Amino acid sequence: MKRKSFKSLSSKIVLLIMLISLLSVLVIFTVFERVNKKAFYSIEMEKANLVARTIEPLIAVNIYLDMKERTDQVLTQLLENPNILAVKVLKNHKVINEVKSSEYAKNIEESFIIKQIINQPNAKNKLGTLIITYSNKKYKELIDQYAKILIIMFVALSVIFILFSLYIKKLLSPLGKITRALKEYSPDKEIDIPYISQNNEIGLISKALHNMQENIYQYSEKQKNINQYLEDKVHEKTLELRKQLYTDALTKLPNRHSLLNDIISSNDGALIIINIDDFKEINDFFGQIAGDNILKSFSYKLNNMFNKNHEITLSRLSGDEFAIFFTKKPSLTIFTQTARKLVADVEKMLFFYENNELSIMVTAGGSYQIENILEKADIALKSAKRQQKSFLLYDEKLNIEGQYKENIEWVKKLKIAIANDNIVPYFQAIYDNKSDRISSYECLIRLIDEDKNIISPYKFLTIAKKSRLYSKLTEIMIEKSCQYFENVDSDFSINLSVEDILNKNIVEYIKKKIKEHNVSKKIIFEILESEGIENYEDVAIFTNEMKALGCRIAIDDFGSGYSNFEHLLQLKIDYIKIDGTLIKNIDHDTNAQIVVKTIVDFAQRLNILTVAEFVYNEAVYNKVKDLNIDRTQGFFLAKPQDKIN
Amino acid sequence: MKKIIFLYLTLVNLAYGYSYNDILLKAQAAIFPKIMLLDKNLENKLIDGKVVYTIAYDESDLHTAQELSEFIDKNFKGFFDKYLYNINLVEFSDLSSDTKASAIYALNSEEHIDKVAKIAKEKGIISFSYDIKNLKKGLIFSLMLEKSTVLYLNKEDLNKTKIDFVDSLLQMVRFIDKNNL
Repeated sequence: MKRKSFKSLSSKIVLLIMLISLLSVLVIFTVFERVNKKAFYSIEMEKANLVARTIEPLIAVNIYLDMKERTDQVLTQLLENPNILAVKVLKNHKVINEVKSSEYAKNIEESFIIKQIINQPNAKNKLGTLIITYSNKKYKELIDQYAKILIIMFVALSVIFILFSLYIKKLLSPLGKITRALKEYSPDKEIDIPYISQNNEIGLISKALHNMQENIYQYSEKQKNINQYLEDKVHEKTLELRKQLYTDALTKLPNRHSLLNDIISSNDGALIIINIDDFKEINDFFGQIAGDNILKSFSYKLNNMFNKNHEITLSRLSGDEFAIFFTKKPSLTIFTQTARKLVADVEKMLFFYENNELSIMVTAGGSYQIENILEKADIALKSAKRQQKSFLLYDEKLNIEGQYKENIEWVKKLKIAIANDNIVPYFQAIYDNKSDRISSYECLIRLIDEDKNIISPYKFLTIAKKSRLYSKLTEIMIEKSCQYFENVDSDFSINLSVEDILNKNIVEYIKKKIKEHNVSKKIIFEILESEGIENYEDVAIFTNEMKALGCRIAIDDFGSGYSNFEHLLQLKIDYIKIDGTLIKNIDHDTNAQIVVKTIVDFAQRLNILTVAEFVYNEAVYNKVKDLNIDRTQGFFLAKPQDKIN
Repeated sequence: MKKIIFLYLTLVNLAYGYSYNDILLKAQAAIFPKIMLLDKNLENKLIDGKVVYTIAYDESDLHTAQELSEFIDKNFKGFFDKYLYNINLVEFSDLSSDTKASAIYALNSEEHIDKVAKIAKEKGIISFSYDIKNLKKGLIFSLMLEKSTVLYLNKEDLNKTKIDFVDSLLQMVRFIDKNNL
């Protein structure tokens, strides 16, 4: 970087003074020279005129008295004045007297002429003209003299200014020395500031700087102490935060970050993730404090189990999830044995809270592969939960990751179908077994993919429920079905899950659409029994509301769940759709025939109509009729169609 | 002819009167009237609007006076500058306070110069003298031909008269008094 050149302030001041002075002097001198030159010339001219005026009366008298000699005498006397080069008297344009000095020839070039009229004394008559040739020599001498004075003055002033400048530089030079001293300054280093003893402005500046230096030093010392204190505090807090970052606050076990660090720093390890089953229930039933106490106690016990083994680290991943990481991979047998023993030992553990004895169960997932070990153990845990196994080791053959990918693809397809209005209802006829005529239609959801393939719901409905798109699908089906049957003289049924019924927004939407399309007398809501109706009171509120509007209620897949008849009575249902697993083998499965017969008897006593689903051949159809089931639905009679013929 | 007259007069003068320098006489005749005009108070001394130039002479100098008169007339042709003039020839014995005169030119006389001076003083007019020595007796102005023409002025008596010459004249005259004559 180019260094900015230093510009002396004193030099600037001096140069400025010199420049201003020089200009002032030049201007003054120029003006003086002009004015004085003119004045000098006027003076000389006046002197010449004065001579002419003075001598004129005398010459006039002489001429008047015809005293030529005396006139010559007077004129000659005039030449005694060294400035007068020649004098002549004209009368009637003729020279009557003329005298010239010896200098005339030499100085005639630098001269001027003065003319004076000669009047008769005591009268106004013109006698002649006096002409004086006056030398400029004196004027030149004056000018030369004046120029010399100006030059001397100019030189003198220049010398004065130079001396003045040097004096100013000398006066200001302490500032430079002080500046050089200040360059070495730093808050922790005391410097000697010069000129403190001087009793002038420089001394005042030096004293002020000295005091400032002392104040800064004191302040700096204070700042140092503060900084040291802050640094200590920051270090302390950093350690604390670091500890908090890697430690779980509740159990004091290492947390997820700590586990991730362990995994990263390990080349070959194995991991078990355990999750406390239904821990939410403990929290809900006994309260958060109880839950926290159990977690702490559980952590303590886990720690006791593994703290002797330095190749195992224990950490808490989240609320009810813990990890046991083997920094050095054991044999697969020991690994699986450890996991199974852990699950078994936990089941034996007892926890106490306010005189309550509690026990917990855990599910464990393990990964024996270090690559993506946490994700793989988590997948294994979720698989174990789904399969209701206490421990599952991650296995590539499970293709769990593939399933995840497929799920993600289906979510994407669902979103595209919703956006492109490709979720549509298909209608499958339900026949009355007595009249063999269509009594109603079930509206079944279909997805039309980007290749115009018609997709059945078993491929996407479960995924829709997980991805929170399910309620949207319900809304689409309600809107499109109601709209379709608004002008069709037939009953129709729509499937509702318990989740739909418990969703207040969906219920309001259903009410709105029923009214909007005026289909309350035609619509039948099929509630899936297979999902397990647990909260009968809330479902009953819905069924009562719908029945009040004129709608009808059916229980779908009856016989697949654990609903009991007593609860079903509360729902005031109109139809029971017998589960397809009971129907499909009914032609030869005696047990199925007994169960179906019981259901039909029960329904008939309560005036509830029964419907057989999945009737796919004549034998089944005939058996359905034999068992007095009121209605039949299945591919044997009619397949789902996109429209009603 | 002039030479004969001049010789005659010289001889007569030698025989009967004072001797006069003719050149001086003519110089005075040419200059004195002009000097009279240099008096700033001349207007007050006009008689009937004219300048009366009185020449006082002794009986024996009549011809000289006449010659002078003729010379003046010839020279000035009836006008002293813008003024008409008369030349009044008066014998000393006839000269009195009643004699008309704007200026008096006195030729030589043994007895009457004082009288001329007194009358001129009374009238406040300029008195010219042929002979410079008469300035001692109170006449005011005279003229001598030296290396050049020299005008003499009796400064003592000038102050006692009503004569007020132009300043430049006073610059060129030679002042005399009774003591240094």
